[in-house]
Amino acid sequence: MNRFSKMAALAVTALLSVGMAACSGGATATSPAATSATSTGPKSGKLTVWAWDPTFNIYAMKEAEKIYQKDNPGFSLEIVETPWDDLQTKLTTLAQSKETKQLPDIFLMQNNAFQKNVINYPDLFSDYAKSGVDFSQFPAGVTAYSTVDNKNYGLPFDNGTAIQALRTDVIKEAGYTMADFTDITWSDFLTKAKAVKAKTGKALLSGQAGSSDLIMMMLQSAGASLFDAEGKPTITNNPALLKSIDVYKQLVDAKVLTEVNSWDEYIGTFVNGTVAGTINGVWIMGSIQTAKDQSGKWQITNLPKLDGVEGATNYSANGGSSWAISSNANYDLAADFLNKTFAGSKPLYETILPSSGAVANWLPMADSTVYSQPQKFFGDQPVFSKVIEFSKQVPKNNTGAYYYEGRDAVSAAITKILNGTDPNTALDEAQKNVEFAMR
Amino acid sequence: MRRLPGYAFLTIAAIVSVFPLYYMVVSATNTSADVLNSRMLPGNNLWQNWADLTGAQNVASAMYYSMVNAVATTVLSLIVCSIAGYGFEVYHSRGKDRVMSVLLLAMMIPFAATMIPLFQMFAQFGLVNSTVAVILPAIATPFLVLLFRQSARSFPHEIIDAARMDGLSELAIFWRIFLPTMKSTYAAAAVITFMTAWNNFLWPKVILVSNTYQTMPMLLSNLRAGYVTNYGSLMLGVLIASVPTMVLFLVLQRSFAEGITGAIK
Amino acid sequence: MSLTLARPKQTGSGRDRRIRLEQGRNLTGWLFLIPAALLIGWMSFWPMFQAFVLSLQTGRGTRLNWAQPLWYNYQRLFSDDIFKLTLENTLIYLVVQVPIMLILALILANLLNDRNLRFKGLWRTAIFLPCAVSLVSYSLVFRTMFATDGLINDMLLGLHLVDSPVNWLGETATARAVIIIGLLWRWTGYNMVFYLAALQNLDYSTIEAAKIDGAGSFRTFWHVTVPQLKPMILLTAIMSTNGTIQLFDESWNLTQGGPAYTSMSMSHYLFELSFQKNPNFGYAAALSYAILIIVALLAAIQMKVGDKRD
Repeated sequence: MNRFSKMAALAVTALLSVGMAACSGGATATSPAATSATSTGPKSGKLTVWAWDPTFNIYAMKEAEKIYQKDNPGFSLEIVETPWDDLQTKLTTLAQSKETKQLPDIFLMQNNAFQKNVINYPDLFSDYAKSGVDFSQFPAGVTAYSTVDNKNYGLPFDNGTAIQALRTDVIKEAGYTMADFTDITWSDFLTKAKAVKAKTGKALLSGQAGSSDLIMMMLQSAGASLFDAEGKPTITNNPALLKSIDVYKQLVDAKVLTEVNSWDEYIGTFVNGTVAGTINGVWIMGSIQTAKDQSGKWQITNLPKLDGVEGATNYSANGGSSWAISSNANYDLAADFLNKTFAGSKPLYETILPSSGAVANWLPMADSTVYSQPQKFFGDQPVFSKVIEFSKQVPKNNTGAYYYEGRDAVSAAITKILNGTDPNTALDEAQKNVEFAMR
Repeated sequence: MRRLPGYAFLTIAAIVSVFPLYYMVVSATNTSADVLNSRMLPGNNLWQNWADLTGAQNVASAMYYSMVNAVATTVLSLIVCSIAGYGFEVYHSRGKDRVMSVLLLAMMIPFAATMIPLFQMFAQFGLVNSTVAVILPAIATPFLVLLFRQSARSFPHEIIDAARMDGLSELAIFWRIFLPTMKSTYAAAAVITFMTAWNNFLWPKVILVSNTYQTMPMLLSNLRAGYVTNYGSLMLGVLIASVPTMVLFLVLQRSFAEGITGAIK
Repeated sequence: MSLTLARPKQTGSGRDRRIRLEQGRNLTGWLFLIPAALLIGWMSFWPMFQAFVLSLQTGRGTRLNWAQPLWYNYQRLFSDDIFKLTLENTLIYLVVQVPIMLILALILANLLNDRNLRFKGLWRTAIFLPCAVSLVSYSLVFRTMFATDGLINDMLLGLHLVDSPVNWLGETATARAVIIIGLLWRWTGYNMVFYLAALQNLDYSTIEAAKIDGAGSFRTFWHVTVPQLKPMILLTAIMSTNGTIQLFDESWNLTQGGPAYTSMSMSHYLFELSFQKNPNFGYAAALSYAILIIVALLAAIQMKVGDKRD
């Protein structure tokens, strides 16, 4: 009966303690911790990091550890591999149950998720105010994602700048070169893509049905967003959005954009050669390069711009992530580490680039020789320095706390529009759904 | 001849069941690009996939911890739930029926809703990131209790009366008479509990904050989290993760499918 | 707790001794229940209570306040179009998938219970194997198989059953069908296991008697076997109803709720509300209670109809 009495005791204690916790719940949010980073002499200590992708982010972290250890031999990192979805679930669980002591020192976060997390769970973060990081060395468009109330919460790492990647051998058959697809408009793209399709039977783009990624990229390229600066939805009366959807529909109807039903299928389309190009964040290059038989046949350029829309540019972004310092961190050490590596070390970025294709957001890398190396897979184009140039010109975009609601509502609207619903009606519905979710 | 439709039906069911698994096995021997191309024939990329898999993740450790969790959960579960189910049925009363109905409510709420209060509880006991925390919520499930209660319905009470007259204590009756007779139910329950515990993903993911005690489902999730997924080694990982449940089933299936009919005497 | 009536202590009389013995046994019965009941109470009911309290609060993240009026979140469910859609989807899965699956499992178990069947182990293993694969993994395999240029379409085209590839995951009706097919594939073997176990505990003499009386295999099955399997059928019906109403993994991994929420299950929506969208835990808790109420109602009906003791 020992087990029972022990359990009964535990049960009673549990009831009491949780009862007490429940009473103290509902406390107002405390401001994120921020101690100043004074640094003299080598630092030592261990930091824990939560991040995903061993070939990309985690690899970069490990290299950063090595570099920092040169001057600070007593330093070490413990990296816990955690997929993004799980990371978000963990962060929410910890914050909601007020157990921020379980947080690591540093964690990686998707750029699109910063606003939602910082606004709802400020207790998770420390801001970068006292870290010494020079944010002017990062593109304004990217730091904007992780800036709330003029404070920085994220150090941009993984570059999400959008590129247009095309099969040069395929477009050549229709008599085109990459220059014909550079600095053009979408109507121009449509004409040329139709010609390529007629000549070779291949579409130039593919995408997941019901995913609004491409349309979001078009929207951002014109500096427009789904929400205004105050966080109110701007899904209706949004000429850039209407135009983006219209362009998308034309691409699908002309069959120059193939819609598939899952991410794996999407990757399969260009890996298997059924589709001759793609537009996505620069990180898509990794997937393209798994098709080893297509080496030398690809090149990149910037995006087409929207016709007739004010503020349209040829540049945009999709995704990307930044490093956040948690509220539970050894702030001095974490801030110094990040400042000296991801915000200060050319050798770091030069090391990780060739083996992982991890493109930096750090602007000083634009002049780096490693970044300007011609890349064999991409027809000897210096793709990486090109991407850095693009990233300087990416317009800002408002995400806001309800970004995912907005994005999903627009995705649903697009599916309906492609099936014949009138765009204005569908977008009205989307706006209503987002407003409902915001209640 | 009379049995031909039966055989035909079974054959179709077997093929439909096994076919996706065949695809999985074949994919584990192919390159990522071939898997995306739905290649149906085996390739010779198996060793490369194995190297990629073990290079990227600590498979042995994850298998070990998955095994520890699953075995501990299964053993404890069988004991706790079978005696409860026996208690509900053999000592039947209206009160117990009501208690059973109330307990059933516990499995009707989605776990996502109770996960955070549960986490908070364990955090306050300092049990975050421990094997105890992974196992404890999984031991007593209303489902298993219900299973044993329903199975106990077919256990004849005359035997219990006879045993009582022979002077056996209630616990002894349960342990020495009920348990050995209901082998088929225990075997079925063992397979199901093991399988559920082995594949459990959401709770371990939340309660384990470091990778030390990482389980196989978490490992597989890691494989899909990168920008580039190596589908060949992913399928290999899935295959390896499926083996223990299959082995357990193979070992136990005779017990619940070919048991001694009328063994009750 | 309802122990049998207490009687004034009287020595000697056999009837009193029996009553005390029964009281003692009843108490033992309760003791047998306690470990499981305590664990369930602690691990499930306490968090459920907290979830209920949460469902009466509004606010984002941890900034929660009592709802005005208290049942605001529950009211909100009625005007939530997405919730209504997920409810419809989940009910469709329930009504279509569960009966087919249970009948299939029954038939298979009965076929496999035949003493004279050969290769029994082979069939059993083959049909159970789908359960051994984790939900995430089989969803990936199914997604690939039902892709527009995937295996299933290749086979259908090859057999000239269709003219052009079916857009399985891109159309509402077919996306739901894929989920139903996935569920059938995955869980039929699971339920078959329970029926097999239950068939072992049957009194074979009843079946023999029926055969001697000249009943054919179907009539034996229907009139002799099935009635004796009632407790197990009730169990699997409750479990399958519970599992299908709480469906999550297939909606999350196979179809991602698409296209446009038309294959999304209620639990998937719940997860989105909690962890993906702007966290609205009070509303999510109300949704979880809505799910509980639906499952409880259905279970109560099933118990009322099927739970007969002999």
